[in-house]
Amino acid sequence: MNLRLWAVIVGLLASASALTSSAARVTESAPRASIKSLHPDFALLDANSVNVLKSGQGVSTTRTCGQCHDTNFISSHAFHVDLGLRSYAPSRKTWNSSPGLFGEWDPLRYRFLTQSGDERLDLSTAEWLMLNGKRVVGGGPATTSRSGKPLTILKSSVDDPETSLLNAAGNRTAWNWSASGTMEPNCFLCHLERPNLAARMAAIRAGRFSDANTASLLGLNVVEAGARGWTWNRAAFTAGGFVESKVLQIQAPTNANCAGCHGEVHPGTEPLNLHAGDLDYPQTATTGQVISSQRINASGVNFAGKNQLTRSWDIHAERQLQCTDCHYAPNNPAHVTVAKGRSPAHLRYDPRSLDIDKYLQRPDHDLARGQSAQFHVAPEYKGTMRRCENCHDATASHGNWLPYVETHMAAVACESCHIPKMYAPAIQSYDWTVLKVDGKPVQSYRGVNGAPEDARSLVTGFEPVLLKRTNLDGTSLLAPYNLITTFYWVYEDANGNKRPVRLADLQAAFLDGGAYAADIVTAFDGNHDGVIGPAELRIDTPQKEAAVKARLAKLGLQHVRIEGQVQPFSINHNVARGEHALNDCRACHAAGSRVTQGMSLAGFAPVLPVFDTNNNVTGSGDLIRQNDGALFYRPGPIRDAVYVFGATRLGWLDGLGALAFVATLFGVIGHGVLRYLAFKKRPHGHALTRRLHIYDAYRRFWHWLQAISIVILLLTGLVIHRPDLFDVFSFSAVVSLHNILAALLVINAALSLFYHLATERLQEYIPRPYGFFDDAITQAKYYVSGIFKGEPHPFEKSPDDRMNPLQKLTYFGVLNVLLPLQIVTGALMWGVQKWPEVASAFGGLPVLAPFHSLVAWLFASFILGHVYLTTTGATPLEAIRGMVTGDEEIEVHEEGDGDAMA
Amino acid sequence: MSRFPRWIFGLMAIGALVLIPFIYLQPRKPEAPDALARVPVKRVHVDHHDIVKGVFKTGQDVTRTCLVCHKDAAAELMKTTHWTWESKAVTVPWRREAVTIGKINQINNFCIGAQGNENKCMTCHAGYGWEAGKAAQQANAENVDCLACHADPAIYGKGLFGNPADSVDLAAAARSVRATTRENCGKCHFDGGGGNGVKHGDLDESLYFPGRALDVHMGGKHNLQCSDCHLTRKHQILGRMIADNYTIDPAEQVSCEQCHRGKVHKDERIGTHLKSVACQTCHITAIAREEPTKVHWDWSKAGEEGRKDDHYTYLKIKGEFSYESNYTPTYLWFNGNNEYRYLLGDPINRKGPTYINKPAGSIRDPKARIFPFKLHVAKQPFDKVNGYLLQPVTAGKDGFWTNFNWNHAFELAAPITGLAYSGQYDFTETYMYWATTHMVQAADEALQCDACHSATGKPGRLDWTALGYPGDPIKWGGRKLP
Repeated sequence: MNLRLWAVIVGLLASASALTSSAARVTESAPRASIKSLHPDFALLDANSVNVLKSGQGVSTTRTCGQCHDTNFISSHAFHVDLGLRSYAPSRKTWNSSPGLFGEWDPLRYRFLTQSGDERLDLSTAEWLMLNGKRVVGGGPATTSRSGKPLTILKSSVDDPETSLLNAAGNRTAWNWSASGTMEPNCFLCHLERPNLAARMAAIRAGRFSDANTASLLGLNVVEAGARGWTWNRAAFTAGGFVESKVLQIQAPTNANCAGCHGEVHPGTEPLNLHAGDLDYPQTATTGQVISSQRINASGVNFAGKNQLTRSWDIHAERQLQCTDCHYAPNNPAHVTVAKGRSPAHLRYDPRSLDIDKYLQRPDHDLARGQSAQFHVAPEYKGTMRRCENCHDATASHGNWLPYVETHMAAVACESCHIPKMYAPAIQSYDWTVLKVDGKPVQSYRGVNGAPEDARSLVTGFEPVLLKRTNLDGTSLLAPYNLITTFYWVYEDANGNKRPVRLADLQAAFLDGGAYAADIVTAFDGNHDGVIGPAELRIDTPQKEAAVKARLAKLGLQHVRIEGQVQPFSINHNVARGEHALNDCRACHAAGSRVTQGMSLAGFAPVLPVFDTNNNVTGSGDLIRQNDGALFYRPGPIRDAVYVFGATRLGWLDGLGALAFVATLFGVIGHGVLRYLAFKKRPHGHALTRRLHIYDAYRRFWHWLQAISIVILLLTGLVIHRPDLFDVFSFSAVVSLHNILAALLVINAALSLFYHLATERLQEYIPRPYGFFDDAITQAKYYVSGIFKGEPHPFEKSPDDRMNPLQKLTYFGVLNVLLPLQIVTGALMWGVQKWPEVASAFGGLPVLAPFHSLVAWLFASFILGHVYLTTTGATPLEAIRGMVTGDEEIEVHEEGDGDAMA
Repeated sequence: MSRFPRWIFGLMAIGALVLIPFIYLQPRKPEAPDALARVPVKRVHVDHHDIVKGVFKTGQDVTRTCLVCHKDAAAELMKTTHWTWESKAVTVPWRREAVTIGKINQINNFCIGAQGNENKCMTCHAGYGWEAGKAAQQANAENVDCLACHADPAIYGKGLFGNPADSVDLAAAARSVRATTRENCGKCHFDGGGGNGVKHGDLDESLYFPGRALDVHMGGKHNLQCSDCHLTRKHQILGRMIADNYTIDPAEQVSCEQCHRGKVHKDERIGTHLKSVACQTCHITAIAREEPTKVHWDWSKAGEEGRKDDHYTYLKIKGEFSYESNYTPTYLWFNGNNEYRYLLGDPINRKGPTYINKPAGSIRDPKARIFPFKLHVAKQPFDKVNGYLLQPVTAGKDGFWTNFNWNHAFELAAPITGLAYSGQYDFTETYMYWATTHMVQAADEALQCDACHSATGKPGRLDWTALGYPGDPIKWGGRKLP
């Protein structure tokens, strides 16, 4: 017993010391690589489901991955595979035969996917795949014909755009799909840490489509390209013929995988260098979006003001988010509550999601997507992704500094402020109406001084333009975009199909053996130096246009003309944290507001292009083409029912208001000068006056409170209206002062109304209908003539009847019309925050705000007249003194004497 | 009317009605953390060129002159560790009696120990006269070396036994006295362990003229001196090193919070880190950013005949070593204390490395935060029979550096250290941790998330499982404290 106890104690001590020493060891060891992949070892199968080790054939992804995963389900639930094929519908007039990469015409890549029935072959299916293969996962149009049959069973024919090819000489040749093979969905592309993209690309470019997927494995110690077929590396496989999982590192897609097709992604600490303007990085080329956690100033790019750019490229990348965190597989159990869509309103969480094993068998590859302007494939999945508001509570994060949070959030997309600037160059325009000697269009870029691919070019970045985006739920927000303008020749072929002029034809028209054709040089060489300089390479004269048309006509192209379009490209990445976002009121609420900030579209526009409408963006501004051909976009926010205080104004309305004010000013000055002159001419004795207590204390108090409120309201209103003229004031402080004074004014008006009702003094303000016009005319006559002659006021001021008929009329108008109008419009404008639907019932801010400004002008005019008329008392300052002290010297009218004393 | 115009009251009431709600409703910005305002403002030091007069033959002559005016200075200094070279007496769980820790009586991972080597080691002691022996030296206030910290280091230098070097013009040195500068402190603290940057990975001669990129406090526009953070009252300098202490009272430690208080990070996400991550972890991104620091020292190779000396790899008197520069620190939980500090005579760990010190803290310790350390690994001699580390006489008379005989060096040391030597020695691995607190980077150069965290499982600089986490807390969540 005793012995056993000792044994236990010793054993425990030994194990404890072993534990502590091993713990100590761990502390010292270098960080271990954690297990990255749980994927088991698996057999690589060929197309006949035979292990590649046995057959020596290339790998078939559908067979290999299909051993466990439902590859049919995956292929049919993946728009990355489909690329628009299932919606393929050829059309004579529009060039987009599908909403995806397979069929949608992209004026930047220019090549047109020829439809059957087209006169000329531009891109056949095979050449489309060779050209775009880098961005084609496989499956879909890479294995299936437009009619849904396997490509391999199609009969080879030079006349069929699916089974032919334009050769180097420009002639149609037949394409044999059975020989080239087709390209299955390439699972490796997204699920290997480092698929061999270069080898894959080489196979695709060479038209060896069936080799592409196996080529992705080259260089991973699994397979090598042998002289004939593939040589599989036995050492990478287990004894049972399974490839070792740790060799391939099968994993969930990382940002780097997405980068393979979409744009610049840069993890790690190596300084980032941009592939700017390169359409192989389309998202970066078209918008300047770069996904990297690196600080911008740590990049290897030649930025203007680089030292200060201490923000990261993208806060979400910095915070270690992955593309798939927002663009997730819809049936992923981790995200399924978001993706399952409609559920009872009371339900916050639905526990009934797929088990992980079911998900892994049939993962839905129709990844959650947003509503960007440039991607149209799989429209039924638009708006499924996690957006800003799915993770962030804007009220909590902005509540402590941003006034009118809800108003801002209802008008402006998060991106508008949180993507204030793009730091990589982006394409500005492609002009395909002319070709450079290298066969490329005239390209221009924004955000860079010089060529974007040149490391010496200074990268300045650019500010996106804000356009109205209409969301699926019907709301519309201002969101940031890059605008890309393209110009190109179109023609109508013999079959009546309107098509872009083929690149082959364009090159034939412009070039002759690697140099410009003689006709072209004659037409374009304006300064006769024998070369076509950059300034000459543009269609800016009818002669140039005619010369190109003639060359195209020689090639048999009919009805040739130039068209152009402006396409918006959504900017949703490169998000900045609050401190680097737009957080100064005046960035928007002032002249030069981001909301009204335009965008330069092209240095030279051969024609006025049209705004592309195939998206959810409203280009409601103006496309302005200057005489020199330069093209601009100028937003028209008011047409989008966006009214931004300090930035939006109706010029004519301000003019009208100012006119009323200036007219009053001149009237008052003129009248005053005449009065002064008349006063000097006239012999003046001492007018008989009497001191009367006219205004009691409350009356004086409410008058002056109202007067001060109105004057400061007018001044602060002016600052809010034109902050650019008064930028010494803090915009938000002025807005808050305006609101406080408005509240004060309303309370004061209500209390004084109560006072007047309670004391029956209200009747003083009501013009007496009896003989009103006679009295009014008498008073008017007095102001027009009597006042100059030194006549006494026609109506005597008394504590019970202080106002003359005209005064009563004016105050009646001011108090019953102007003041209520101003209060109601002001309250509605303030209430946009809380009751936006009430304001919008009255036309929203675009109606209310100009109205409020107009009434303000009238108020200002009234005050001017009012103050002037106070000088018409016994002495010029007597009336004001009366309103201050309550006692005023009043002219004594002989006949009214008795009444006044009564 | 001579009476006061009453309408003024009305106007004031109106003004109040407008202004009070306006001021009340103004958004109040949180108080901006103004670290710069908390940097101490020091008096301009009196120029002593015309005050100090006389001829000085010895250091003690200078001190006597200083003490004429600064009567308490010597007494104050003699209470500090710069003089005593040891801590206050503390109790440790593995010893019955209270112990003191310091260069005076303990060993470190570099030149091992000072006892018996006073002729050389005391070059960095703020006192003269070690040839008289410890007791006599420590008793004499005139032995206080004012010049070590207050003279212009370009004029003053120390030689044997803590005394001024023979070539020094003591009068000139005495006239140059002033408040301490980085140069004064740097003389010992930048060159500790026998050369530039040897000991500390975060203090070296590059800090004499630092740029902002090297140290945001000492470099760039701030140009802080050591004493701006190591606040000094009556010669007591704030700040303790875990290398020479067992536990440290937070009141005696320098902290970032001396200047950086309140909501230091605008970014809430960074703010959530502060309970578990020390400021240094993100703001000191690398050790030995400019000058290399010694990371490994193998004494067992010392004394080999015929090997060529090379400052960075081998010296016959010291053995083999390696340096590293601009490298990633070792990260440990740290609550400011040591879990263990090797005391002379402690048994070594025969199965693995012996820790000279081991920072205290764990994931379950609420006071502990993840902290960057320089780990210095050495191979030191130990007594094979008695099982403790041996402290040789190296620089002392007839020491190892003279005749390269280890046995003789240990026998010489035995009566000095009081540790018996069995006659058999070998070498064992010893670990020593140095807290990394200098060469601080500004926010725009500090570590970013991906230095430690990764969504893809890419290993970062923190070994989460070794720190006690189930995995990267960006996915697994942070530590849960009671």
